[in-house]
Amino acid sequence: MSHYPEVVEKIVQDYLQRVGIQLQRFPNSDQEDVLKELSSHIFESYCAGTNSEPVGRILEVLRKLGEPADVVAEKLQESLLSLRKLKKVPLSVLGGIVVGMFGLPLGFAGVAVLLGASGAVLGLVAAFFATATLLLVTGVMGMGLGLLRMLNPDLWDQLVAQGFIQVHGRVGQFFDLLSPAAQGGLLVFIFMAVAAAGLGMLWLSKRILRGLRFFFDLMLDRARTLLKKRRRDGSVANTNRVSTPVRDISPDREPLSGPDPYAIR
Amino acid sequence: MDYLNAERERRVTQLRKGILELAIMGSLYRQQHYGYSLVRVLTGDGSLSLKEGTVYPILTRLDKEGLVRSEWVESDQGPPRKYYSLTANGRRIFESLMPEFDQLVSLVKQSRNGAKSRQDQPLGERILVKKEERE
Repeated sequence: MSHYPEVVEKIVQDYLQRVGIQLQRFPNSDQEDVLKELSSHIFESYCAGTNSEPVGRILEVLRKLGEPADVVAEKLQESLLSLRKLKKVPLSVLGGIVVGMFGLPLGFAGVAVLLGASGAVLGLVAAFFATATLLLVTGVMGMGLGLLRMLNPDLWDQLVAQGFIQVHGRVGQFFDLLSPAAQGGLLVFIFMAVAAAGLGMLWLSKRILRGLRFFFDLMLDRARTLLKKRRRDGSVANTNRVSTPVRDISPDREPLSGPDPYAIR
Repeated sequence: MDYLNAERERRVTQLRKGILELAIMGSLYRQQHYGYSLVRVLTGDGSLSLKEGTVYPILTRLDKEGLVRSEWVESDQGPPRKYYSLTANGRRIFESLMPEFDQLVSLVKQSRNGAKSRQDQPLGERILVKKEERE
């Protein structure tokens, strides 16, 4: 159900669509949340508006809210705040590694090595997930067995007799020293740790994936900037530069000349 | 002068951003708010002019840090509203930040007044004040 006149609805949808495009690098749940919240804000702000002309009123609302790119840039800035310190070191280290490994002119062999490296990274990610899932499943099953030992020792004994559960060697000897309840408790405790490790890995994986994504985005951005800079340098070299803007304005930068522009009033 | 204006704008934006988080926590300290009502409180008397979209990333971050909790509440008038309130941890942190903020403000004011008085006061007056202080 629309809360606005048709033309206003279109403007709002267009704005939200543009925000949606800017939000593509965020998780889906975050995207939905931001869009839902902005919709709510726009509606409230629109209702509180004083302009009697609907289009003028909605445009004023959106102007106050900010451009989609700015709204999302703020969000991006916030989410990268904790990564900012790490940003420079891995880039330079990785740049060194890439240059060292492939040399400057990246031929077909270089591309093949890059593809291989990407494949290896994907393989590592898959192995990481497989290990995490395995730990989690093993942990849960083990805890189930422990509970069975504690709560229903007879069934446990039957399963042992039928060969479904086998505990051999020193572990078996150690287990024989304990009461059924203690055995169960120990099993639950050990497998709880295993399941926790699995859960921990899964929790970590979200951050690792986000980090990888951020890292690839950053590399792409950096490559684009380098290309642009090279093009610009090429074109600037062909023109005669008279003076740079920085030179023109440098006298104004004297902090003690004139009234203090940052004074608190 | 354009450079000066741009530089001033940049610094004013930085200043505002710095205190915005504290201002948000302060507003939520008194009562819970949804996004738009919070913006109204922050910009209501024109004391803090800001792009309204700036508030949401900060709220999201505070939410993720556990200083603020949020819940969607259906509204009769339109889309649901996301209400924010300060968690116990958020309240504790806000209470511990306020004295720091007050101290900073008084430090800035003091240094400014100090500089001004040294410039404006005649030498004799400055010596007299010092003498009084000694007594």
